[in-house]
Amino acid sequence: MVFFLQNVVNALQWGSFYALIALGYSMVYGILMLFNFAHGDIFMVGAYIGFGVATGLLALSSAAGVALPGWFVLVLTILLSMVLTALVGVTVERVGYRPLRGAPRASAAITGLMIGIILETGNLALLGARRISFPSLIETATYNVGGVYVTNKKIMIVVVSVLLMIALHQFIHRTRWGMAMRAMAFDYVVVPLMGVPINTIAAMTFAIGSALAAAAGILFGVAYPVLDPYMGIVFGWKAFVAAILGGRGSILGATLAGFLLGFIEIFVAMVFPSTLRDLIAYSIILVILTFRPHGFFGEPHSARLRL
Amino acid sequence: MRKVAWTTLSFLLAVALACPAMAGKKTIKIGLNVPITGDIPKVGEGSKYAAEMWLEDIEKAGGLEVGGKKYPVEIVIEDNESKAESAVKVATKLITDDEVLVIVGPQSSKQAVPAGEVANNYETPMISPWSTNPDTTKDRPYVFRGCFLDPFQGPVLANFITDEFGFTKAAVLYDVASDYPKGLAEFFKEAWEAKHSKGSVVAFESFTTKDTDFSSQLTKIIKSGAQVLFTPQYYNEVALIVQQAHQLGWDKPIVGSDSWGSAETVELCGKDCYGAFFSTHYAAAGATGATKAFIDRYKAEYGYVPDDVGALTWDSLRLVETAIQSCGKITGRIEKDRKCVRDALARIKEFDGITGKMTFTEEGDPIKCAVIVRISDSGEYEFYKSVCP
Amino acid sequence: MQGTVNQRTDAGTQRGLRGWLGRQFGRTPMIGWLAGALVAVVLEQQVGDPLSELLGLPKIPVLFGFNVALKKPLLIPSALAFELLIYALPIWLVARVASPVMNRVSGILYRLPRWVSPAVHLAVLYAALHIWADLSAYRGITLRLMLIAVMLTLSLNLINGYMGEFSCSHPGFMALGAYTTSVFTVGLFMNDKLFGPALLPAAAGPWLFPAALLLGGAVAAVGALVVAIPSFRTRGDYLAIISLAFLFIVKSLIENLEFVGGPRGMSKQPNWATLPVVFLWTVACLWTINNFVRSTMGKALNAVRDDELAANAMTVNTRKTKMMGFLFAAFWAGVAGGLFAHVLRYVNPGTFGLQKLAEVLAMVYFGGLNSVYGSIVGAVSISLLGEALRALEILKWIIIPLLLILVMIFRPTGLIAFTEFNVRDVLRPKTGPDGEV
Repeated sequence: MVFFLQNVVNALQWGSFYALIALGYSMVYGILMLFNFAHGDIFMVGAYIGFGVATGLLALSSAAGVALPGWFVLVLTILLSMVLTALVGVTVERVGYRPLRGAPRASAAITGLMIGIILETGNLALLGARRISFPSLIETATYNVGGVYVTNKKIMIVVVSVLLMIALHQFIHRTRWGMAMRAMAFDYVVVPLMGVPINTIAAMTFAIGSALAAAAGILFGVAYPVLDPYMGIVFGWKAFVAAILGGRGSILGATLAGFLLGFIEIFVAMVFPSTLRDLIAYSIILVILTFRPHGFFGEPHSARLRL
Repeated sequence: MRKVAWTTLSFLLAVALACPAMAGKKTIKIGLNVPITGDIPKVGEGSKYAAEMWLEDIEKAGGLEVGGKKYPVEIVIEDNESKAESAVKVATKLITDDEVLVIVGPQSSKQAVPAGEVANNYETPMISPWSTNPDTTKDRPYVFRGCFLDPFQGPVLANFITDEFGFTKAAVLYDVASDYPKGLAEFFKEAWEAKHSKGSVVAFESFTTKDTDFSSQLTKIIKSGAQVLFTPQYYNEVALIVQQAHQLGWDKPIVGSDSWGSAETVELCGKDCYGAFFSTHYAAAGATGATKAFIDRYKAEYGYVPDDVGALTWDSLRLVETAIQSCGKITGRIEKDRKCVRDALARIKEFDGITGKMTFTEEGDPIKCAVIVRISDSGEYEFYKSVCP
Repeated sequence: MQGTVNQRTDAGTQRGLRGWLGRQFGRTPMIGWLAGALVAVVLEQQVGDPLSELLGLPKIPVLFGFNVALKKPLLIPSALAFELLIYALPIWLVARVASPVMNRVSGILYRLPRWVSPAVHLAVLYAALHIWADLSAYRGITLRLMLIAVMLTLSLNLINGYMGEFSCSHPGFMALGAYTTSVFTVGLFMNDKLFGPALLPAAAGPWLFPAALLLGGAVAAVGALVVAIPSFRTRGDYLAIISLAFLFIVKSLIENLEFVGGPRGMSKQPNWATLPVVFLWTVACLWTINNFVRSTMGKALNAVRDDELAANAMTVNTRKTKMMGFLFAAFWAGVAGGLFAHVLRYVNPGTFGLQKLAEVLAMVYFGGLNSVYGSIVGAVSISLLGEALRALEILKWIIIPLLLILVMIFRPTGLIAFTEFNVRDVLRPKTGPDGEV
């Protein structure tokens, strides 16, 4: 039982990352019907920006002679990096996606893929091949709850992720902009004719998605403090699976699918020999899709290809 | 239009002919087949820097002295993008187009195995500083390696843990998709189970390259009741594994392999790694003599302590240098020179490298001693024990 | 076809570079170009060495002087002069001066039985490639891998272009083909520690190699069923993730199969994938896929892409059509994988990962969707660029993606998209009774 609960805790943390990144994918996919293959690398850029901001803040505070508490620096880092990464996301949209509006969707997916490669290589060219250690902003405290080991970082990661998801849900469902986004997701062709500014909505979608990716990047840095330029690739592709598995444009679906993917990966490794993890985990996904071909919350007709 | 074409052509011809013909002096060309881009750019960078330092030395001396004559040396660095097909293309290019005398690299086995085939077919000596796959040098007289093989390190560590702690139950966590950790993990398991009993490796868990979360595997390992965790991983994964193990309540010893031997292990891992042991052929801290000189110089020039791959590349280049020198003369006929260098490499005995003394076996693998290092409570690498085959 | 005709008639009146080029070369038939290339490579073979020495080059510039230019900028004029003298000038001369003769040759070929003309063209092309590749082993390996890239690109284009789906499993199919073929050849013909001594005499090997490749293709096609059955139940983007999941599954599966070496991979494949073999298979791939897409089946595929409902209403069996297209593409990816394994003479599962996927996707979209031409152009240009810019190291991986982004922005469907590759039309003479002008 303890063994099982321990893995639930593990999976919650791991699933949070998939869910946060899948949300960014799902937003772009739901609203603009695009595969944003640069998203995994935006996650990487977010982590690096977070690293820069955090080191900068720490240096500033030590130069000023004020000892800022770790959690304060962390919160500030998350907020600042979310803004900065959102700018990166908007730039990516402007450069790589807006010129391709009206072009086949797959072409935009390819530009995304290429922008991703440029971000990776650019990082490699600028910072060199060294791996970067993310500053440990808060001391790890390990709690033993009846044999289940939980750390303060794990709790924080899950709580922050869930808070962000709730905030996003509220934004989508309670604000005018959110309504515009939902409208766009409902009909991509007619809604812009009704006066919804498509470019603003697109930019906003990318900004929100990238900000979430940045948050994921920093939380990732807190949990797994080793950053390298290629860290976003596998993450990105797997979150892409989660996003589509969730159903088109469904925030709840992407969140659940992200957590589900985390749980599947962790529990497959728990039950079966861990060598077979990918084999079994993705076979399960395959089976799920065979019986639920539209994902969890998608509608049958919604994912029509416009190529 | 036609006039333009003719003018351009004649102009180009004039310039080309006016350019002084290439100096007829014989240069010794050495090819470097390394991954500058792709999955493991760090490896490529380390090898490139080590090669640059080596070249600097040669240039300072006014060239490489062979048989009383000094020859200029040129290093042709090619990027193999960390891809097998690219490594093959690079090897072919270096051999047939650049006509290098010797190739150093590729580093990882997935490139070194196919590139070794090419080098052997064209009878060009090749040293892979870092590849541990037996297939790299197997049945290939022209291919050598600079590091030791897994079959040696596995038993060394199994013996060390048994003798040192008297443990009987071990757990292993390794990357199944990467052949170095996988090979070492299997050899360790074999040695351990031969020493104790079948099933005494109570948990044999794996993950896939680029994974960052090992909580599931570690939870299983903790549950298995193992007394020691052996993880033959690279330093970036070591940091994550050790930290996560501690966060999940693991408080027993952790032992690693030579792939831990980078200053970044401690830099990335921090206090969590203090007290851990690993085997290596190259202990960055606590190094003396030539090894220390190399590390200090590298650090001064590039700002960080070199990885094992840098040190191994340096040693491989020095091996090449020794071989060329003991060859006696450079005839300028590349096939003959290559053969001569290959024979000289195979003859090398007791070469005193910065990663240890080595002698090549029939297969082209070096025999080296291993060193057990402990990470001290201040994060320094302390020499603990030396084990020779 | 329509486009080319227009271009040609416009060419006479157009001004500037394009018009000049049109006037110079508009009347050169395909055989003229191939003959020009042949003359150029023979010239290089005969006088390449003395000429490069005369120009101060250390050797013949292997890949059109790119390597020389990037590594030793001082030699750029020499390299340019070499390329002009050896390639540009002879090709121009043959294409321009000999074009009446070539048109006559082309006309004679055109009137012979239908298969003769393509066969002669291919023979001349192969001769030129062979001599070109013979001058340097580096060219040889680059060329062979390039031809394999053409096969891969074309087969992926069948799914992503002609069928309009987004498939990510191509490296997986390649891996299945590569491993099946390798097990077949290494297991039967080589003394190997995994499979024991050779079962059949090595002399029979090259003759059975096609069977091995076909088997590899067949296994890849069977593997494709795993993707096709769940994903073609409905329309949508689910193929993208099902195929991605399939890619992860195949990679993980091979890593766990100890008898093929697991993550260490398999080596010791016999050296049977020589240039003629790879060339013939590439031609076979081009021929069958080109025929497939021009057949009723191919048109049905396009119809399904453009409007599945309408296609269904017009009695197209959409599911069967998509299945056929998908399995056919997977088959050729498997064959390409088998050749790939035998060119490198080593396979490991790590090769068939996301990096390979990005590479093949880039080639397909760069060249152009729904076009055999485009696939050839895409595969050849990305492979050549990758080789030519190798000396730039990190910068190369910024330049190539940037180029691709620009292509996508200005030509969203790729360089040469939605064209039909009509072999007979391409090979016809440009003047005379059978010409169009």
